[in-house]
Order: sequence, then C-alpha cells, then structure tokens
Amino acid sequence: MNEPALSPGVVLAQVAAALPEDCRDNVIIVGSLAAGYYFFRDDGEAQVRTKDVDCLISPHLTAVQKGVTVADRLFDAGWTIRREGTFTEPGTAETPEADLPVVRLRPPAEDGWFVELLGAPVPGAGEGRAFSRLETRHGHFGLCSFGYLALAEERPVETPYGVHIAHPAMMALANLLHHPGIGGERMSGFIGTREIKRSNKDLGRVLALAYLTEAGGEEVSDWTDRWAEALQNRFPDRWRGLAARAGSGVEALLGSPSDLDEALHTVNTSLLARRPLSVEALRVTGLRLLDDALRPLAERAEADA
Amino acid sequence: MYPLHPVTGEEVTYAPDGTWDGVAVEVARHVKGARDLRASLMGLAYWVASGFGDRGVLVLLDPDMTPERIRSEERLARETLRADVADRLHVAVRMGESYVGLPDGLGAAFQAWLGGLVQSETGRLLPRPPSYFVVLGVLLHEWLLDREPRTTKWLMESTGYSYPTVADALDRMGAFLTRSSDRRVQLTDDFPRLEWERLVMASDDVRSTIRFVDRSGLPRSPEKLLQRLRNLNRKDVAVGGAYGARHYKPDLDLVGAPRLDLSLHAPGRTADLDFVRHLDPALEESADRREAAGLVVHLVRRAEPFFERGDDGLLVAGPVECLLDLRELRLESQGDELLAWLRQKRLPS
Repeated sequence: MNEPALSPGVVLAQVAAALPEDCRDNVIIVGSLAAGYYFFRDDGEAQVRTKDVDCLISPHLTAVQKGVTVADRLFDAGWTIRREGTFTEPGTAETPEADLPVVRLRPPAEDGWFVELLGAPVPGAGEGRAFSRLETRHGHFGLCSFGYLALAEERPVETPYGVHIAHPAMMALANLLHHPGIGGERMSGFIGTREIKRSNKDLGRVLALAYLTEAGGEEVSDWTDRWAEALQNRFPDRWRGLAARAGSGVEALLGSPSDLDEALHTVNTSLLARRPLSVEALRVTGLRLLDDALRPLAERAEADA
Repeated sequence: MYPLHPVTGEEVTYAPDGTWDGVAVEVARHVKGARDLRASLMGLAYWVASGFGDRGVLVLLDPDMTPERIRSEERLARETLRADVADRLHVAVRMGESYVGLPDGLGAAFQAWLGGLVQSETGRLLPRPPSYFVVLGVLLHEWLLDREPRTTKWLMESTGYSYPTVADALDRMGAFLTRSSDRRVQLTDDFPRLEWERLVMASDDVRSTIRFVDRSGLPRSPEKLLQRLRNLNRKDVAVGGAYGARHYKPDLDLVGAPRLDLSLHAPGRTADLDFVRHLDPALEESADRREAAGLVVHLVRRAEPFFERGDDGLLVAGPVECLLDLRELRLESQGDELLAWLRQKRLPS
C-alpha cells in the first residue's frame, strides 16, 4: 500500500471546513495526520504519508447524534463512500450492528485519502471494540470505538480550524495499552513492500512520537504526568494496573530484532520518512522512553498503591 | 569446559557465574525482554535439574523490564518447569544496595559474597596506572591549591600506594621537589611545566579515559546530562571539564561546552560504568576518536578522589583533572587562564 503524502495543515483545514460548525468542537483528529500536524505544523513543506484521516467524535454521550450530523453534512457536500473490501454499500435497518460499514468518506475530486469516523467510548470501557448505529439520510453505518481511544479525549490540542488533535502522548499511551506485547495479527495491506504486524506498526508509531517529541525540543519525561492524570481520569478503578504494564509492549519490541526491524520500516516510510532513523537510533529511543517516562509511570502507580 | 550430566553423560552447556554453598547464581545485566530472561532462567534450570546445585538464583541488574513483567515471566517459567526444579529457582532484582527476591535464609555472608560476584561480573578490569604520574598528580593538586608540604605517609594514604612506590616516585621527581626539615615534601615554587606536560601526554593512560558517543541522532546536551547526574546522587562521580573549571574560576572565558567530562573514582582494579546508562541509554562507548564524544569519563585511580562539593550540590573534580580535561578539549587558552589564576592565588598578597 503506497500511501499518499499529505500536507497536515491543508488536509486539516479541508476536513474542518467541511464539518458543520456546531460539530467542529466535537471532533478530535487522531493518528498520523494529528501527529504530523503537531510536529510539522510550522513546516510548510512537511508532508505525512497516510490515507486515512481518523476523526474521533467526542464525548461519548453525544457521539452518535453528532456522528449522524457530520456524516450527513459530508454526504451533502459531495463526499462519497470509499468502497474497498467487504464494505461497499451503506447498511440498512436490518443490518446487524456488527456488520455495519464504518463511515469512510472521500472528499470531492480527491482519491488519495478519506475520513473515517470513530466514536468516543463509554467511560471506563474495556479493551475491545464497540459499535453504535448511525442512522444517516444516506443509510446505516457503524460508529466504531475502542476503549483506549478515550485517552485521545484528554487535553486535546486546539487548532486554528476549530477541530482538535489528540496530544502525541495520549496517542502513544493508547497504542501502548493496546499492545502489551507483540501480537500475531498482521496489517491487511502492505506497508511499502512488506507485510507488517499491527503491534509493530503501532508500537513503532509510539517510538516515532517519542523521537519527534524530543527532536522538537519537548521531553518525553513530561509525558509521565500527562499519562498518570489521564489514566486516573479515564480509568480510575484500574489505572495502576494499566500504568504498571504500559511499558511491556515496548520492552517486547526492543527484545525482538525482527519485530523492531518491522517497526523501523513502518516509521521510516511514514512519520519519519523525511528523517529516517537507523535501527540503533530507534532502539535507544525506546530505551529512553522506558527510562524517562514508562518506568516513572509504573513507579508512580506502585507508590500510589 | 562444562560439566557432564551425572545420568546422561552429556555436557551441560551452561555454568552459572558463581556458586555459594550449593546456590548457583547467574548475574544478568540489562535484561531486555522475556527472551533474555527465559534464556537465563533455563540455564539455571539445567544446572539445578542436573544436580549441580541445590538452588538457582538469577540476579537481575538494571533490567529493561518492569517488575510486573519480570514476575509474570517468572510465574510462567514456574508453571512450565518441573515442580521440583521450579521450586528451587528464584529471580532477584538489585534495588540500590540490596536485592529483592532472594530466597530466605541465605544470610549476610551470602549477601557479601553476592556483592563481590556482582562487582566482578559488572566491573571493567583496569590496567594499573603509572604510579609516578599518580603521585605527581597528588602533589600538583596540593601545589595548585597552595597546601602545606605533605608527609610520605599522607601521600601513601592519598594514593593508596606502598612506601617503596611513593618513595620511588619522589626520587624520580628530584629537582621538582623540595623537602622540609621534617621530611615533608612539596613541589617547588616554580610550576613544574615539564612534568605537567608529561602528565598531559600520559593523561589517557593515567586516567583510562573512556569516550561515549550518542547513537540516537538526538544528542542530549551536557546540561541535561548534568541534571540526570544530579538525580543519581553518586558519591563517586564528579564533574570536570569546562563545568568543573568554572567552579575554580567562575569568570573563566568559556561559552557552552561541547561535551560533558566526568571523573569516576575507581581506586580498585575495576570500574563500574553502569551509571552512564542512567545518564542516557543512547550513549555508547567508542574507541574511535574521530567520533564526537558527548560524554567522556576519566578514572581517578588514587585512594583519595579530591572531589569538592560545588555550589549547585554536584561534586566537582580536582583542579588537576579539570586542567587535563581542558587540554584534551583543546581549550588551551582557557586552561592557561585557569592555571595562571591558580598560580596567582598562591602568591602572597
């Protein structure tokens, strides 16, 4: 899968302009585009290689209502369904929720990228996925949510376009918690020319976010406070356990050369395409993240127990 | 050469790092993940299962794993191994000066033995420094700080050398030395420039200088490394180089510093450089002098390190170390400025 190079600011402005004004404040952009905007927003030439612009509708309470409004507005503005794989048509009232297609819409006269709508999870939700039905004027869709996506709602970053982007620390933590180890599941498509494990892609993303944070003059050691606060807010009953195991995925990645190599390939063809890292640099970025942010987080949880 | 299994006669391709009264101990540093941990535990399991030891203890030093993950792996290993083997295996983690997870009943004698084993496994074996330059360094330190003449006994205590070694060094100094009527010695009032230059030339050997380079592509500034050093609260590491020089002459003409110079007190035969990893895991030792070092560690081999507490709470290396660092940094004019100022301070007002 060769992903197009997008200018984060341009795409963000385009998405925001297409959204109903009273919904912009409910949208938090997550994923590559959010990271690209956060780190490269002052660099007019910077581009991010991605094809999907993930829009999290927040908060959970109004996510379905706002999701319907957003989808209808985009359809009305000429956005069209991205037909790929098994989901080619909208569902109907008879389609079971789990079988509903998610909202993936391409902007008019644009084939390279699409918007995907995600829903904020129920507060305190577990690890699995959940679907809610979106009954739009153009058919029925599923609004997918993941438990750890709630972290993206924590202190998101404002943009001049009215929408928010998730803070890199929160995107990193969501990925860390989602992958406590190296799983066997592989990405459906190729990244570049290679088939990559999902956990290696997502954990590699975590290391790329850590690297870009330090490269931008911020410190990953500051993530510990953010993480602890977010975990306590979002998962008050189990935050200590989550904090204690947040580093296990990175530990597993650093302990497996073949998986680290997959992670390197992923980041060097996406977020770090302009400034590719060596495997050694990615490894020590992981060690720094463990030393500076993840172990202090685990220690804080232990001290609080 | 590994021992043979008592029943199968096959070679047991493993030996622990040490054995104490039937307790086999494997010391593992920086275990990076479950794979490393399992490999070490399995080696110990072979050893115990083959009847070579009553118990096996895996001692982890600064593991790159959270305590929870270590315990989880230990639990998995116990579930997988034969119960009579699993029950005799233990995983301990060094926490500061003590160990968490050691089996009960081993006592203080075992702890002392374990401390020695850990030291021998982790420490770098050092060559003996040229004793003449070590003694000269002590006398230069006393001279620069305008101290009183010293007795041979004091020099023996400061250097850690025997009487013959110190006496031999003093004899070699000859014309650069003055002896008072009570046999105390000091360098002559004229700065011994020639001997100083010889010390500069021999500095790498005398101080076993070790260079570290950044492998992350995002080198941490000396200031950041200093901040981390402060958090480590080490009593055997002092700041030298440009930072240390400013302790002795705050208005020294230095703008920034390209690297951090530290002095590590290593009076024995080994030096534990593990603290570097805690300063920054991206720092890697390099013998290639063409690579720009972000951190340079010089070993202070004498018995007394002559470190001073700086205004900011950090320990500062002695003036001789700082001057040598400036020379190595090719900051000759600043080195000369500091030396001239220290000499000036010696003059009666």
